[in-house]
Amino acid sequence: MRFPLRFEARTDSPKYLSAAVPVISIIAALVVGAVFLLATGYAPIETYQEMLKGGFTTFYGITDTLGLSTVLIFTGVAAAFAFQMNLYNIGGEGQLYLGMIGGAWAGLAFGDSLPSAIAIPVVLLMGALFGALWIVVPAIVRSKLGTSEIVTTLLLTYVALNLMNYFIYTSSSFFRDESTTGFPQGRPLPESATIEAFGSTRVYPTFFLAVVVALVLFWIVKRTEYGYRIQVIADSPRAAQYAGISAQRTTLSVMMISGALAGLAGSALIVGPFEKLDISITTMGYGYAGIVVAALARYNFVAIIISAILFAGLRTGGDKLQITSDTPVHIGVILQGAVLLFALGGEIFRRYRLRVVRQQQQAVAS
Amino acid sequence: MNDNIWILTFADSIAIATTLMLASLGALFNERSGVLNLGVEGVLLMGTVSSFLATDSSGSIWVGLVVGTLVGGLTAMIHATLSVVFRANQIVAGLALVIFCTGLANFLGKPAEGRIISEKIVPLDFGPLTDIPVIGPIVFEQDIVTYFAIALTIAASWYIFRTRSGLTLRATGDDPATVDAQGLSVATIRFSYTILGGMLIGLGGSWLMLARASAWNREGTTNGIGWIALALVVFAGWRPIRIIFGAVLFGFTLQLPFTLQAERITFIPTAFTQMVPYLATLIALVALSTPKSRQALGAPKALGIPFVRDER
Amino acid sequence: MSNTSHEVVQGPHHESGAASVALSAHHITKRFPGVVANCNVDFDIRRGEVHTLLGENGAGKSTLAAILCGLYQPDEGYLTRNGSVISLPSPRAGLAHGIAMVHQHFRLVERFTVAENVVLGSSDLSFRLKTKDLNDKVAAVADSYGLPIDPTAVIGDLSVGQRQRVEIVKALYQGAEILLLDEPTAVLVPAEVEKLFDNVRAMTASGKSIVFISHKLGEVVEISDRVTVLRNGEVTGSVEGRGSASTADLANLMVGRHVDLSVQRAEHPIGHEVLQVRNLSLTVNGVKRLDNITFNVHEGEMVGIAGVAGNGQKELADVIAGLTSPTSGTIAIQGVFTTDLGPIKAREAGLAYVPEDRLGMGLVPSMSILDNLLLTRKRDVIVDRGSVRPEAARLIEQFEIKANGPEHVARKLSGGNAQKVLLARELSGGRTPTALLVVCSPTRGLDVGAIETVRRLIDDARSAGQAVLLISEDLDEILSLSDRILVLYRGAIVHETPGESAHIETVGAAMAGLSK
Repeated sequence: MRFPLRFEARTDSPKYLSAAVPVISIIAALVVGAVFLLATGYAPIETYQEMLKGGFTTFYGITDTLGLSTVLIFTGVAAAFAFQMNLYNIGGEGQLYLGMIGGAWAGLAFGDSLPSAIAIPVVLLMGALFGALWIVVPAIVRSKLGTSEIVTTLLLTYVALNLMNYFIYTSSSFFRDESTTGFPQGRPLPESATIEAFGSTRVYPTFFLAVVVALVLFWIVKRTEYGYRIQVIADSPRAAQYAGISAQRTTLSVMMISGALAGLAGSALIVGPFEKLDISITTMGYGYAGIVVAALARYNFVAIIISAILFAGLRTGGDKLQITSDTPVHIGVILQGAVLLFALGGEIFRRYRLRVVRQQQQAVAS
Repeated sequence: MNDNIWILTFADSIAIATTLMLASLGALFNERSGVLNLGVEGVLLMGTVSSFLATDSSGSIWVGLVVGTLVGGLTAMIHATLSVVFRANQIVAGLALVIFCTGLANFLGKPAEGRIISEKIVPLDFGPLTDIPVIGPIVFEQDIVTYFAIALTIAASWYIFRTRSGLTLRATGDDPATVDAQGLSVATIRFSYTILGGMLIGLGGSWLMLARASAWNREGTTNGIGWIALALVVFAGWRPIRIIFGAVLFGFTLQLPFTLQAERITFIPTAFTQMVPYLATLIALVALSTPKSRQALGAPKALGIPFVRDER
Repeated sequence: MSNTSHEVVQGPHHESGAASVALSAHHITKRFPGVVANCNVDFDIRRGEVHTLLGENGAGKSTLAAILCGLYQPDEGYLTRNGSVISLPSPRAGLAHGIAMVHQHFRLVERFTVAENVVLGSSDLSFRLKTKDLNDKVAAVADSYGLPIDPTAVIGDLSVGQRQRVEIVKALYQGAEILLLDEPTAVLVPAEVEKLFDNVRAMTASGKSIVFISHKLGEVVEISDRVTVLRNGEVTGSVEGRGSASTADLANLMVGRHVDLSVQRAEHPIGHEVLQVRNLSLTVNGVKRLDNITFNVHEGEMVGIAGVAGNGQKELADVIAGLTSPTSGTIAIQGVFTTDLGPIKAREAGLAYVPEDRLGMGLVPSMSILDNLLLTRKRDVIVDRGSVRPEAARLIEQFEIKANGPEHVARKLSGGNAQKVLLARELSGGRTPTALLVVCSPTRGLDVGAIETVRRLIDDARSAGQAVLLISEDLDEILSLSDRILVLYRGAIVHETPGESAHIETVGAAMAGLSK
């Protein structure tokens, strides 16, 4: 069967598409979201207006957005760094949990005996370390045996979830706050292991850390030998072998760094907004959101910063909705998924053009 | 004797294997045609939430099953469109689908939170057959969907390996260029099987809701069972009959926490027994990646690669 | 498009006349993005005839063939079959009219058996597969044309020649009256080529028509009743009757000018030993790929390794280049043992390697020429592209590479230019000056102009004192360039001869494993 519309390969990809595709995806997603809102009895325009206000136009909206974007930048670059080499680290969510556990442990264990200037880096690094540890098994089996890292990292996320449950709900847990009698809480970290937000906002200094990390990663891939090797392996494993570049070793290190970044996301949450181990993190889905952030930014580290702020704004706006009306907050997650779906579909237009194919002309005998 | 906790556990393992079987079978059809569908977890969720809502409003489990199946097919259509028509990266498309469906299912399921439906799928009544020692509860106390799932899996095996359509299906997954050269439409084949797969997954999700959960618990309803189903396709070497055995095995690991709790074996915290299915899947996957096992497995060669006819 | 002069050389011809034309193409034009593949082409094939479409790579032969069988549709022009106009919107339509193509790259499912491949997609297949009946049916069709095959064999286990036979049986099973064979002899040994030609004659004797697509002048002259030559998408000439045109005439029509593909071999001295291979063996998955190979190459000498694809060439090149470790044996480059030490150490010893797979292995497709130059050199922790840029620009000029400067992305280079980039990089030395150049299939898929240039560059390297190891499946190339020829068969050196006194029959026989 031949359809009258056909995709025809382009010879060159116009630059405007790199920006057009994400923008159109967002618009399309908003339309889809509007359909669902209408179908369930909510007014789309008003809902979106509220979201925009909540996330982008008020002072507290903007600062909340920037604050939330911190964790999304971290999980975004974590996913993107692995993807540079066509490795899919889907377990960012679980690595984030482990980062929180590691950071909380370090803070609770050492926070009292160390000055802030040392305690905070220790907490952050411990989170990164725990994140890397959580990915080490998938990393090794991927680099040595070729086991799909998609399913392995994901399965470990469910294990991590159970681990968090254990640490929070078990009464004898090191992390558990014994003083409260109500819903199980994590023990708060000592003062020296936490940092203050700026003024009355929810933006923490870790925001700037996230931006710096993203820029450093950008520079590493573009300018260093390590980044060169990554590019070679990603594009052509055989060329890598030809040039004596070890794909196995690089795969391992790339995945570990990716896990560490996701773990860092967790410990940044510990020193910043959370300041204790909190089970509510498991309903946030920051790890998965990072994948969407990265995909929409087409895995470009600088674009991820923008993409993270955008999604943070969506979320913040959606959260505010729940307070001002009874619109389900889930509309934010729907939009998140829809944007990515459209962006994925739109990718094809970078490489192909739509053409109307004329039916084969019946010849007139000459 | 038939009250023995382990016999009951085994019977329950077969029951929970229903969802795994159906979801894996759906994913198997997908993958045999060459399309990787990582969105199984999302499709599963959509099946559970839609069957809940349908049964709740209609009062009939059959309506729930049908609706769940259809919704599964519809959801898979999104993935089919992205993967086949728009030649998107199938891995990211599947993940995006999971994220989208998680949000959508939560959105649609909000009115259902906290409610329980009273209608439930019950095991068929085979009368005195259930009193047979050991075999009785295991074989004769399952519900109709479970029997259907097993029968369907066996029929699928025959279909894939012994019919003309099955030959074409296998060829599409291995070497779509060859199928295309025959004048058959690779796109249509892949699209159709993706939707078929989605319907099976939707049915699996509906069973999970209507025979087990009976309440909407957001993502906790399925709790990652879709990912286990995906791994199951790999263990089974893309062959339906082996799915049955793998599904029962993993069903057992999923049942284990409940059994241990009932037996008051508490020295292992629940949190850890609940990790077992995922760890078991992980270990099995790794074991299957060793070069020796890889040879024996045989994934469809064109899996995950969008088909583009070779043009200059 | 202008109408170029259309020569028709008449020679002694047999009974075939216009009355028995089976398929005709009229004024066919086909465009792809950026190129006109066919321009106002007329072509016809008669019953019982072998009509060859001749042209160099990129001339438009495969495109025309694809249009004739329904794989592509022309932008202008039409087809007639047995006198009436037909439209072929798909290969299935082509089959319905009895037209089938056997592709250069076989469309066979490796995991399936012969019978399963032959019947795949055929319309008269019952829903339930009766394996035994199918096997018998397929075997019957094959036997009736003298093409014996085992219907239960798995494609993955078959040789290239056998697979080709399966493709032909498949076309015949599906009722093809007109078969298009796309570069069928590209992967065959001389002996297999003869068998193929016998099969072709059997088929034409029973009334089938064969369209033969090729660029190999020697074979074309032997098998064809008629030859039509394409150049740059247009027909430049048509020759009727066997033996009525020489290879030189045909080459002229193909290229439009007098072409001398042989390289003048200048006399020059041979120096000391640069490459020493001793008792090299390689066993992979229980199969012996290299079998006790011993030879050497000296300064200023070109050693050619001849053989049909799949006899160990790739493995030999990879082992010498340090990409694979041999099971036993040693390799020494300029006196340094490099076995088991990896590609970097081999390069430090003076190795340069131009692999067969230009864009997948030798070059990184998404990287610029400049970055590709860095691929085989030592890089600092922070890559210094600035210092390499002038050298890149110089090399582009020196090797006449058609590119927009050092930032030009490798993927966008034509085959010939990609090869020039590879040679430029390898000859200019990486970690140390190049002493040994290993080249594999250097001119495969290139147009005649590029072939000339590449062969000249390799020969110049040899004249400049490099030791060159040339591994190629193109026997003509080996014969015209090598000082010494070694024949590789099933992983072992089975024949050795000096280049100048080599006999093509002996070498061909050795390639087929028929040496004493």
